[in-house]
Amino acid sequence: MITKIMQILFLSCSKATSIIEKQFHFRLSFIEKLQLSAHKSMCKACTNYEKQSRVLEQTIQQQLKEHDVEVNVTKLKEEIIIKLTNK
Amino acid sequence: MPTNILTIWVEDYTTDLYKWALHKVSSKELAQDLVQETFLSAAEKTATFKGKSSPKTWLFSILNHKIIDYYRRKVYQTVSFEDQTFSNFFNHNGSWQEQRKPSDWHIEDESNLLDNPEFQQVLKNCLDALPQKWSTSIKLKYLMEKNGEEICQELGLTPSNFWQIVHRAKVQLRDCVEKNWHD
Repeated sequence: MITKIMQILFLSCSKATSIIEKQFHFRLSFIEKLQLSAHKSMCKACTNYEKQSRVLEQTIQQQLKEHDVEVNVTKLKEEIIIKLTNK
Repeated sequence: MPTNILTIWVEDYTTDLYKWALHKVSSKELAQDLVQETFLSAAEKTATFKGKSSPKTWLFSILNHKIIDYYRRKVYQTVSFEDQTFSNFFNHNGSWQEQRKPSDWHIEDESNLLDNPEFQQVLKNCLDALPQKWSTSIKLKYLMEKNGEEICQELGLTPSNFWQIVHRAKVQLRDCVEKNWHD
């Protein structure tokens, strides 16, 4: 019973981490913000999760920006022309 | 339209189309496939090309449709995946399973990790270890260069659907990084 009440007031870890992910893509409602900060104030694991998930987010963004576009398209062109001719 | 005009377009535009596709999907094989498909579709649809736009613009619009289609397929596959692995992480109350609890990485400032090549490599390996549709969902925001609402609109997903997919993929990814990353 107490767990149930706690979950409604302070969210479960599963729900809290889902709101953590949500905030990277959407605006959180006032209630969600409140619930999340209440949860984090009591849960070290989810506090860690948020910090780490944010770093992952930033690192992925950085890696995709640096993506190597140095390309050799000669072979690709040949393949396409062969396919077009064989159609 | 005779094939030889297309052949000239292949010669002129493949590089730009490929660079764009690669930038958007971050996989060489996939980018090549998409560019090939673009020209094959172009060959079939030449009747619709009236010369009102430049051939380059026309080819890019075909390619962009293919890219969005690809994302749409990926994300829909992800929606239907089994719940099983998620119960490894959370028990029925939604609390962390003891052995999966995110631990403290003991780093003063997590943003220092951004410049750490070893950390970057671990993350790369973990992204590659995820099923491709999952890693695509995580990268979607950066690949499409759009915000959550726009992505959902374009792919026909509800927001809650979308961030739940990302949530699952991310929980798994973080766990992999933690288990393989030694400070």
